[in-house]
Amino acid sequence: MEKITFAGLEINKISIFGLLFNKTMLLGYFFMALAMVGIYEIFDVRYFSAAANAHASGLNPTDPALKEAMRLAVFGDVGEVNRNIPWTLFIVNYMYMIYTGSGVIFIVALAELMGFHVIAKAAAGFMAVGLSMVFAGLFTIATDLNMLNMLWMVLTPNISAGMWLMLPLYCTYIPFVLFEIYLLLTNKREWAKRLALPILVLSIGVDLVEYYIQAKLFSMNTARHLWTEFPFLTFYFIISAFVSSLGVMGIYSYLVHKNKEEYNELMDLIRKAMLFFVSILALYEVFGYMTVDKDWSFLILFGPFKPIYFGGYILLTLALPFFFIFKPGKSFYTLLASVCVVIGGFVGRYIFVYGGNANPMSNRFGLGYEKYDFYALEKSFNYVAPHLGEILIVVGSLGVIVIVYKLFDSILSVSDFREHH
Amino acid sequence: MNYAMALDYQNCINCKACEVACKEENGVQLGADKQRIWVGVVEGTIFGKPFANLYPSQCNHCIDAPCVSVCPTNASHFAEGGIVKVDPHKCILCKGCMEACPYDARFVDDTMVAVDKCTFCDHRSLEAGGTTACQATCPTKVRLFGDLDDENSDLVKLLKTKRFFFQKEYTNTLPKLFYILPDDEAYAKQSVSHDTIIHTWEDIKPLYEEAKNRRSKEWKK
Repeated sequence: MEKITFAGLEINKISIFGLLFNKTMLLGYFFMALAMVGIYEIFDVRYFSAAANAHASGLNPTDPALKEAMRLAVFGDVGEVNRNIPWTLFIVNYMYMIYTGSGVIFIVALAELMGFHVIAKAAAGFMAVGLSMVFAGLFTIATDLNMLNMLWMVLTPNISAGMWLMLPLYCTYIPFVLFEIYLLLTNKREWAKRLALPILVLSIGVDLVEYYIQAKLFSMNTARHLWTEFPFLTFYFIISAFVSSLGVMGIYSYLVHKNKEEYNELMDLIRKAMLFFVSILALYEVFGYMTVDKDWSFLILFGPFKPIYFGGYILLTLALPFFFIFKPGKSFYTLLASVCVVIGGFVGRYIFVYGGNANPMSNRFGLGYEKYDFYALEKSFNYVAPHLGEILIVVGSLGVIVIVYKLFDSILSVSDFREHH
Repeated sequence: MNYAMALDYQNCINCKACEVACKEENGVQLGADKQRIWVGVVEGTIFGKPFANLYPSQCNHCIDAPCVSVCPTNASHFAEGGIVKVDPHKCILCKGCMEACPYDARFVDDTMVAVDKCTFCDHRSLEAGGTTACQATCPTKVRLFGDLDDENSDLVKLLKTKRFFFQKEYTNTLPKLFYILPDDEAYAKQSVSHDTIIHTWEDIKPLYEEAKNRRSKEWKK
């Protein structure tokens, strides 16, 4: 393909039609269309649902909207956010995408530093996938927040809040990763040699800071003991993210590199790394819950989350992958393990977020169960099924990954193997 | 000023007049789940003898409020007298404060698309002796609002003569809802758990004074 050189980058000369209307992009658009339906659903509930306050009935008692609002207030669920489960599927997907995406970037940087040549050759593609996942996570969380008030993140910042630290973090992290990809693509050997080590060390530092801030965000919620008592939360996030990141790398390698001669070498390396991190994660899961508040541990290990914890998480993230990759074999088994850990990793995040909210805050005082009012049903745990709009946005966020990655690849051919350093 | 509230919960008859008054006074959103204040109900039996305890509750306006620490835009903040408030125009709906609150005292007000909570009715001229709508309405005088800094306030006078406890004291947030322990020993025993710490004003006062001095710089006028 004809190329244009700009600032050392070799840019493919591609038509707008070819760029925006190929099979991969159409798949991305399909997912994005689902996301748009979801956003419509969510925004309709958030900004336009019938809701009234105690003064409305006095001001305009014959208003039909008031009638609907009062009907919902008495017989239905009012509004988007349930008091018991403030963080839902949005946060699950945000965590999953951000941690897994930055995990891919972290692992690739680490592999370069440790001299794994085959990973270094494919680094640009892996990093583009990781960055696409980060964008998918940000897309998800942007739909969850009330963006109309986001300006206050800059005007009146609370700089010690984990939530606020996310803003400068991503403002630093994303350009940093883009610069890394730029260095990988430009093949400026002299500069690359000079900058390679400091850039890589710095990139690992930035990755560590990112996981630290994510852990701080959860650790500040002192009321939720699953999140605050899980040991070494930063490292738990890193280890569990690495497992699903390696799964993403395995699937990506199959989709993009399967016809290249380095494919088996690449998959074997992914297999070894996955085996190592799956084993560490298994140890974490065994010992982790011994230190967590028993109310939360019991809900997850022996309570209502038991089937999904053992059947969804332990089986898919730890048991099956271990079985598939324990012995060196065909790359196909690594691919199977990759699919398992990618799904299992998501289930793990789901349990972590929903599990953190599962123990009712009001269930920890006095004798017996304390409830809000006559209308609240008594139950020993909190669970609210995700709204259809949320599910569509989460599924639709796959479209962000597909579109962002494909744009990178169409313009910069990030999927090619490159000799680096 | 360091506003707080004592709750003589043995007097509560669960009439919910306080909940209604709060909704009316503050224009709180309609809906059973949308409450700034509520009455917690604990039912059980001891050796086959049934009992029901009622614990009126709301935001504890903690001195070390975790909801304020986690708020990225300072929408959650301390107002005068240490009242924890939310500025709805700054709320980005991250819901971090709802997760951080040990008392589940916050909810999303869908009419404002922002988090809402108890304000101790701070629009009712508290400095001039005004009080909260819930206290003004309570027919059995469960609630007593006042200033912990004023030794002559009814609140401090009551706390000096009674023993009391806090909900979830182990969270170390220094809550300011003082639950007055009933004088009747049998009733008192059935209404607290074994690990509830019982306090007197003398033992708790230095701790709260020190905390107030430490955090009051953040209290907005």
